[in-house]
Amino acid sequence: MAAALDAHAVPGRDLAALTVGESARVVAVDGDGALVIRLGEMGFVAGTAVRLVKVAPLGDPLQFSLRGYHISLRRAEAARVRIA
Amino acid sequence: MSAQAPKTSRLVALAGNPNVGKTSLFNLLTHSRHRVGNYAGVTVERLEGDVAAEFTPAVPITIVDLPGCYSLTTTSSDEAVAHDLLVGAAGRTAAAIVVVVDATNLSRNLYFVLQLRELGTPMVVALNMSDAARSLGMPADPDRLAAALGVPVVATSGRSGDGLPALVAAIAALPETCAPSLVAVPAGTDDTRHISAQVLAEALAALGGDDARSRWLVCTAVATAGEVPGATAAEQSALETLGPHRMGRAATALIALRYAEVDRVLGGVRGDDGGAARRDDDAPALAASDRIDAVLTHRLWGLLAFGLVMGLVFTAVFTGAQPFMDAIEAAMGWLSASIADALGPGLLTDLVTEGIIAGAGNVIVFVPQIAMLFLFLGMLEDTGYLARAAFLMDRLMSRLGLHGRAFIPLLSAYACAVPSILGTRAISSFKDRLVTILMIPYMSCSARLPIYSLVIGALFVTDADTVGANVQRAGILLGMYVLSTCSALAVGFVAKRTLLRSPTPPLVLELPPYRLPRLRNTALTVYDRTMDFVRNAGTIIVAMTIVLWALLSFPRDATGAGGEGPTDIGASYAGRAAQTLEPGLAPIGQDWRMGIGIIGSFAAREVLVGTLGLVYGMEAQDDDPVPLREAIRADVDPQTGAPRHTPLSGLALMVFFVYACQCMSTLAVTRRETGSWGWTVFMFVSMTSIAYLAALLVFQGGRALGFG
Repeated sequence: MAAALDAHAVPGRDLAALTVGESARVVAVDGDGALVIRLGEMGFVAGTAVRLVKVAPLGDPLQFSLRGYHISLRRAEAARVRIA
Repeated sequence: MSAQAPKTSRLVALAGNPNVGKTSLFNLLTHSRHRVGNYAGVTVERLEGDVAAEFTPAVPITIVDLPGCYSLTTTSSDEAVAHDLLVGAAGRTAAAIVVVVDATNLSRNLYFVLQLRELGTPMVVALNMSDAARSLGMPADPDRLAAALGVPVVATSGRSGDGLPALVAAIAALPETCAPSLVAVPAGTDDTRHISAQVLAEALAALGGDDARSRWLVCTAVATAGEVPGATAAEQSALETLGPHRMGRAATALIALRYAEVDRVLGGVRGDDGGAARRDDDAPALAASDRIDAVLTHRLWGLLAFGLVMGLVFTAVFTGAQPFMDAIEAAMGWLSASIADALGPGLLTDLVTEGIIAGAGNVIVFVPQIAMLFLFLGMLEDTGYLARAAFLMDRLMSRLGLHGRAFIPLLSAYACAVPSILGTRAISSFKDRLVTILMIPYMSCSARLPIYSLVIGALFVTDADTVGANVQRAGILLGMYVLSTCSALAVGFVAKRTLLRSPTPPLVLELPPYRLPRLRNTALTVYDRTMDFVRNAGTIIVAMTIVLWALLSFPRDATGAGGEGPTDIGASYAGRAAQTLEPGLAPIGQDWRMGIGIIGSFAAREVLVGTLGLVYGMEAQDDDPVPLREAIRADVDPQTGAPRHTPLSGLALMVFFVYACQCMSTLAVTRRETGSWGWTVFMFVSMTSIAYLAALLVFQGGRALGFG
């Protein structure tokens, strides 16, 4: 739990840095282009709670839970989602 | 499959997110009687059907099934199709929308509903899986949802069919027109969100006012980095003036406003049913799936289970289809023999038996494999496992620059390229789909096995059944499979970085709840895809079979085709061509006899065995190649007395067949799936060139090293 508390103090944390089972709230999706729109429309908007459920057996991609469903993103895409 | 829709029928678009049971509802409403709809400029085929009479619709209703999508913002061809059909850019405009939502996952599904509501098209919400939502302790009351959304809501079940008559009645009762309902853009600049809202308001004003069109332009312009398909010159110049930074902020603000409205609507619907006690990153609908995933996406068990499932799919396509294929071949053989008996020997008999019936056989023989692959793909998709398969394999496929969804088509290509190429439709990016299609024919399919075994048996290993001989046989065979696999991966790697350069597609993949498969839906898909192959690729395959037959039979006075004895195909046009081309075949260690075999086996690789039998004057069919092996082994050059075929020339021949696109059916489905002769010709020319060069390298390199 200490790690989770520290995390709130660290600016610039992203979804790829979550540990399994840890939850955080979205601040923004960085960058521009299709991915920002797609992630936004899948529910990654400011204030949304997202939990890391699992890491795929080969280390990538990641499985997240948000808005009542599960979604898989690669680390590279998850790193675009800033959290607090 | 059925007659055209009545002229007066009302065109209703069936929309919804993927995995919400939309297809089940479509099949129930139309009694599974559907046809391919005709829409201008729509590249992805859409099915449409009339609402069945048992629902006694007050007016005739035709339903068009839109691609499942999460939004109308155009990020792939699926959303483009949905958008075009809804706004009338495809020639016909939907008069109403039925949007199917998953009651167990409203907080994401309602986003799409709000976006559709902006269009101002009369709309009904089908609240599907409401029984499942109730048993999960998250009941959604249709009346409250209807009040909060301002559109009619009907609870439905795609499993039991409950609620369908009410849904049809609600569609019939919809008004002709309805006012668009836009999520309001707040005024004011008092916090960061509102500053973005102001940017949004300015962008919408610059695009001609706040309506569904302007809102679609804002998001699509950001998604496509500027160039919006179908935008007018005025719209395009407004987008350019606004610039990517402000557009990005406007789009983000719009999406956030819609989701804020989703939360407001849900707050009114859930009431005091205990939803407040739930953590908002919980997914109750996935609680059971999580327990299954504890095994199926487990670090060790998950990979083992994946191997098992893939083994099952592969065995089904590779060997499970075999008895059916044998039966088809036997039936075709019987048909040919009966017709030959009835007509007596003659050219017409040959045309019918060796051209038309053989051609039809070449088409139908693929049906079992296609049906098997789509049966498994359909069930895996329905259960939700296909998404897990992509989740497990994405790491490997993304190294190549491809999506995890490309894995299964590539794997099944070891059995047969034809169903595999048809199976690439699950890959949404056209470029990536094309890369996968170009890779597939390099995988060593089952039709290459008879060639490997003929050559290995004739030139490498005697027919002795000793352990040593079997190990040597297996070693050479394994070498061919390793070569083909590495080549396919290399082709993908190169194509993705040169001709078809595009970034690795992002993985934004929903992992839906596991559900029992709907055999009825899967069976319909299997039927549609198989018939599509027979109708579209079949014509090309039959035509090419007849052309090949003619090349191997004419000129008739020289070959004696249609006469009593075996056809002397050495004297045919194909035979003469092979003899003319012999100077080109010698450097790869082959003579004109193999040249005819190569030409003849363009029908299908395994035909090489039968064609060579004819070359060596054997009337016998390709059932027993032992005499053929002996004939090849014993074939010597009369002048020098040296054997014409050596282990080295045999190796060159096998390598040639690893690479050469000796399969007209593969080319026919490539033409069908890419919609382009250009890519089809590219596939054939590049594969044949690589095959020749590789065989040349093997034969000349081997000779330089002192072999053969």
